[in-house]
Amino acid sequence: MSLFTRNLLIALGISIVLVGTVALAITYLNNTRLENISTIADQIAIDTLSLDTQFSLLETAPCESATSSATLISSLTDLGNRLAYTENQLGSDNSQVVRLKQQYSLLEIRDYLITKQLAAACKTKPVTVLYFYSNAGDCSDCDKAGYALSYLRKTYPSIRVYSFDYNLDLGALKTLIGISKVKDTFPAFIINGTHYYGFTTLEDLEKQFPKGALSTTTQNK
Amino acid sequence: MSSAEVIAYPLLFLAVFFESFLLVTFLSRPARESRGIRSLQATPRVAIIVPCWNEETTLAGTVESLLALDYPATQLSLILVNDGSTDATPTVVDRYASHPQITALHKENGGKYTAMNLGLAHAHDAEFVGFLDADSYVAPDALKEIIAAFSVPDVMAVTASMSIHEPRTFIQRMQYAEYTFAIMLRHILSSLNGLYVTPGPFSFYRREVFTKLGLFKHAYLAEDMEMAMRIQRAGHQIGNAMRARVYTKGPPTFPKLIKQRVRWTTGFLRNLLFEYRDLIGARHNRVLGSFVLPLAIVAIGGGILLFVVSGIDLIQQGWHAYTLAQVAPLSYAFAWRPFSWFYLPITMIILLGSVVITTTLTWMYLGKNLSRTPGRLVPNVVFYLALYWFVAPIWLIRSLSDVARGVATPWR
Repeated sequence: MSLFTRNLLIALGISIVLVGTVALAITYLNNTRLENISTIADQIAIDTLSLDTQFSLLETAPCESATSSATLISSLTDLGNRLAYTENQLGSDNSQVVRLKQQYSLLEIRDYLITKQLAAACKTKPVTVLYFYSNAGDCSDCDKAGYALSYLRKTYPSIRVYSFDYNLDLGALKTLIGISKVKDTFPAFIINGTHYYGFTTLEDLEKQFPKGALSTTTQNK
Repeated sequence: MSSAEVIAYPLLFLAVFFESFLLVTFLSRPARESRGIRSLQATPRVAIIVPCWNEETTLAGTVESLLALDYPATQLSLILVNDGSTDATPTVVDRYASHPQITALHKENGGKYTAMNLGLAHAHDAEFVGFLDADSYVAPDALKEIIAAFSVPDVMAVTASMSIHEPRTFIQRMQYAEYTFAIMLRHILSSLNGLYVTPGPFSFYRREVFTKLGLFKHAYLAEDMEMAMRIQRAGHQIGNAMRARVYTKGPPTFPKLIKQRVRWTTGFLRNLLFEYRDLIGARHNRVLGSFVLPLAIVAIGGGILLFVVSGIDLIQQGWHAYTLAQVAPLSYAFAWRPFSWFYLPITMIILLGSVVITTTLTWMYLGKNLSRTPGRLVPNVVFYLALYWFVAPIWLIRSLSDVARGVATPWR
């Protein structure tokens, strides 16, 4: 074997090992990210169940549960951000991403229901936004709408935003879409029960919120 | 996977493969031996030809550096050829006409290769003939290093280690780093006879090369590449003297650099594709035929493709980010967010790219130190990293376009 051929083969071996190591490192990192999301989701599931149970236990004074509910939405937001980042990295058709999105959507629906129950029991008026987007290439303004909602959520912490992938294969989500009568026109919003479709500007979106809802105080939590 | 990623992955693998090949070859015996100190057994007669055209500001420095070479004066002659200069170059040439070692020649302007051939006609008693561009300077021990590298009988030409003389502008600093990498590349590939260019600054030939293979040709203004390809086609070797240092004036501005590199790249493509296509895949030199030349072509095509696709991708992402930033107040886009390892943008492309960049920087460091090239590498590497990735594709695109459209390339 000539020196050239020998060197080529060794170089090929080194390259394969090197690229393989990098691929393994990236896979490990992505798995760690997924595990991190899964851990947060599990914790939120426990917190949700705990809140639900608390709510049932404190039938005479259910408003005691309100503080826990405020912490939950913050965790849900963090989970949603991490999930969106991971979806961007691994692709929306990644099976683990899809499974975590299903889990996340269920947690959102559960929190939404508890919030409604608490609002009725405690006579509060929380501002809730159900936001439906699509990743199927039929929503050119969804990124802008998502960004605007992130800004509103950051600026007005009392707003509770629940984001849903309209096309996600999840029974509970389909039921929510069905009973809420959300059309497949994106982006779609239900702001305190009022339907709103499309996105133009932040100002137009803000006009859809109830008067006084966009304040930096957190009295309606 | 984006279209940029589809192109980037195979190119990155090829880059890793090439760097690995360089490493293995660097550690192989031929390269190790060529790095060893060679003692000069004899001092054969040498002629150094300096073709010059409008080099009034640099020629004297070039000649003085040649006269300062550590080599017996009786064995060294210099031939200055003024190729119809229109500035004060003829006066500078004539100033040296009475020097016992120097022959001063003047001719009508006919192109660099004609000046080199005229010089060759006056170098009939030399065993070795070298060339030095009139904007370059040599280290005193460079010639001894070069002649020692001819100790292998079949080595018909020897190249030196070029670096940029006193880099001042951003563009020259970028070239300084680039040249230190080229020093390593030339050293490593020469150990397997994989060179396809004998650059104008201080490349040497056995005199018999010109009697056996002929004189220099126009060769699309790349006579140094054409001659190297001719030597390779004839089955001879081209060596490298790593510690033979030569300093050349790099183009100081972006337009001048583009012009120079377009001349080099079109010269390479035209000579290879139109005159020496048989070298690609040549069985008598598999290093050059099956590895170096195909990779050089892939690097040109892949570099352009990656630049264009990544550029489009970058513009699209930039536009997307801009439109998003328009949605909410700008302060939100730049708001401080707590650090989390989760969002570190570590991807396969970034990691593999880092491997390739780190290896290249290591070669630069080794190239500078093993060749004992003076100057500071680190600040110049910064300019290299900042500029090279978008400057190089510009000359590649222009070159490919010129070759495809049959546009003649001017010298300056």
